[in-house]
Amino acid sequence: MMMRFGIFAFAATLFAGQALAADPVKIGVTVAQSPPGSVSQGTQVKNAIEVATQIVNDAGGVLGRPIELVVEDTQGIPEKARAAAEKLITRDKVVAIIGEHQSSNVLAAMEVAHRLHVPYINTNGWTDAIREKGYVEVFNPANYNSRVAVAMADTFKALGAKRVVAFCENTDYGIGLAKLLGDQLKERTQGIDYKFETLDRASKDFLPALLPLKANPPDVVVEIMLPPAAYILLNQLYEQGIAPSPKTWLYDASGLADYPDFWQNVSDAAKSMLVFGLYHPKMAAPALGKKIADEYKAKTKNDPSRLLFQAADSLFIVTEAIKSAKSAEPDAIIKAMEELKWTGTRGEVTFSKEKGGFKYHQWIDIPYVTFQVTAVKQNIADTKLVQDPGKPLDTSRLVKPQ
Amino acid sequence: MLALDLLFNGLIIGVFYSLMAIGLSLIFGILKVVNFAHGEFYMVGAYAYTLAAIMLGLSPWLALPFAFIIGAMVGLVVERLLMRPLYAGYASWGLMRDEYAVIITFGLSMLLINLVDKIVGPYAFKGPALIGVSRLYIGPIVISGHRLIAAITAVGVITVIMLVVRYSLWGRQIQAVAQNRFGASLAGINPAKASAVVFALAGGLAAMSGALLANIFNPTPDVGVFPAIKSYVIVVLGGMGSVPGGIIASLILGVLESFGSVYISYQYRDTFGLVILIIFLLFRPQGLFGQKSREV
Repeated sequence: MMMRFGIFAFAATLFAGQALAADPVKIGVTVAQSPPGSVSQGTQVKNAIEVATQIVNDAGGVLGRPIELVVEDTQGIPEKARAAAEKLITRDKVVAIIGEHQSSNVLAAMEVAHRLHVPYINTNGWTDAIREKGYVEVFNPANYNSRVAVAMADTFKALGAKRVVAFCENTDYGIGLAKLLGDQLKERTQGIDYKFETLDRASKDFLPALLPLKANPPDVVVEIMLPPAAYILLNQLYEQGIAPSPKTWLYDASGLADYPDFWQNVSDAAKSMLVFGLYHPKMAAPALGKKIADEYKAKTKNDPSRLLFQAADSLFIVTEAIKSAKSAEPDAIIKAMEELKWTGTRGEVTFSKEKGGFKYHQWIDIPYVTFQVTAVKQNIADTKLVQDPGKPLDTSRLVKPQ
Repeated sequence: MLALDLLFNGLIIGVFYSLMAIGLSLIFGILKVVNFAHGEFYMVGAYAYTLAAIMLGLSPWLALPFAFIIGAMVGLVVERLLMRPLYAGYASWGLMRDEYAVIITFGLSMLLINLVDKIVGPYAFKGPALIGVSRLYIGPIVISGHRLIAAITAVGVITVIMLVVRYSLWGRQIQAVAQNRFGASLAGINPAKASAVVFALAGGLAAMSGALLANIFNPTPDVGVFPAIKSYVIVVLGGMGSVPGGIIASLILGVLESFGSVYISYQYRDTFGLVILIIFLLFRPQGLFGQKSREV
């Protein structure tokens, strides 16, 4: 009798142990899946994270456990992002949160992650303010505004611009980048006259803000907005003959050209546009980058975009940290991420530990390029690369707008 | 030259505002309730136009009346299913008709936004242009061919609607019901039918406005929210229920926003209408063309 009971107890313990081992590791994902947030971005991020999760799970998961995603729609609204983070951590018990692609939302949700001490991977929040908070839980494989501002200032200097006007959306990302551009132009160039105008991203008619430029067009118009407002702005700039024009370059600081709905919404308006790009098919990519690009294309029938790599890296960074720490506990994951030196989809990722400023927990050397759209409905692969990664703008490759 | 540009742009935007606001004004005139789903009639029109042209391959000129018909049908269905309890035999509802109208139209607004979001998708869809001229030069003014043609079409539609409401049999019936619902019914006019016509007309006009702007404002499911807010302001400024008042208020608002954006600040663009609204409510609450009234 005792022996039977012993065997039963042993079997029960064994099966319970196996069930525990198979319990998924839950990772929270916050994305915009409905307006007024950028659903275009949200969908790319969500698809990319799903593809990356499939790759991890097909390889056996982490610590013998599969990854399970818990996705929340933020609508691009900071209050909803904050509520989503609270729900993911307290109710769903996720080990980390990834996916957020709007700075204002990151700023709201990271407060929750900080308070509850859960790792938070900023997938695409560009504003420096995220890094300046100095939260130990927040890691940034995302691009950052300071880098774009420096890139833009150098580009405008190389273009010989004397007057630059930026149109930014009324968000932390938009206003933050527009201000940083001003600082960098002052610091890195001489005599460039600069001003920016803040536009409401929910608005539809930007003509009153554009019309004063007609009489005296600047040398460069910079667009710092997300769709759909960004598309409307580009169309209205073109409609008025302000930019692109033989006198005025149009510069897209938001990387719009690889959005799936870009050409459906913008046609002639984007021809000759210069684009700050975090991805271009002509950039050299690590093996993981090629793998994720192929699987993403097979799943979505869309060409890869920068968001694909940023989102995939966000997931891989968490899983690599769990593997390396051999634990899914917050402190272990955070420590492992601080020590991380791993080749992701875009290059070797490490996080700076330099406190006080935009560098804290930031992947500093994110590769970027500048490319020019030279024809309507052009694939990114066919656009003209006018600045290679780590090199200055090659003005001899530029095609002047007609 | 800038002033001319701003005036022209303001008037064109004003024309689009008025196309939208007339429907709202008519509904208020006849039912004395505010339709909070009016912006979604606009959104339905924008999508009907764009999808008919892109997916069904319809010419934009055919997609326009198609959008009007779809908007009118939505208006008709809304009136028949949701608004009729306001006046069709539900006597005890009289005291809470305003609450009913607010709740039901708010709910309808949410429903339509989410339906389109889930069925069509949340992405922006730029509608096709009515003519393929991207820039037209009228003296110093530059305008897209579509914007100009859309504005001219809107003026034409507004003129026709004004004439219909003023001179046609249906229009006179609508006016009679708006003046005195009970009196009109004593004179043999069917108020329910007049209400249905008004809702269909309002739905069609808002849809037409959305369709005409689909090429300019790249519709998304929530595209109707802002125009609806402007329309509420316009209806109050013009005088509740007054169609000519609504048209004049629309043009004033369009021009005011255009000039204010440049000479005050673009940041406050959407507040100019609200400031004017507050001033009117303080000093002329009946609006431009409204009449002072008192219930005894």
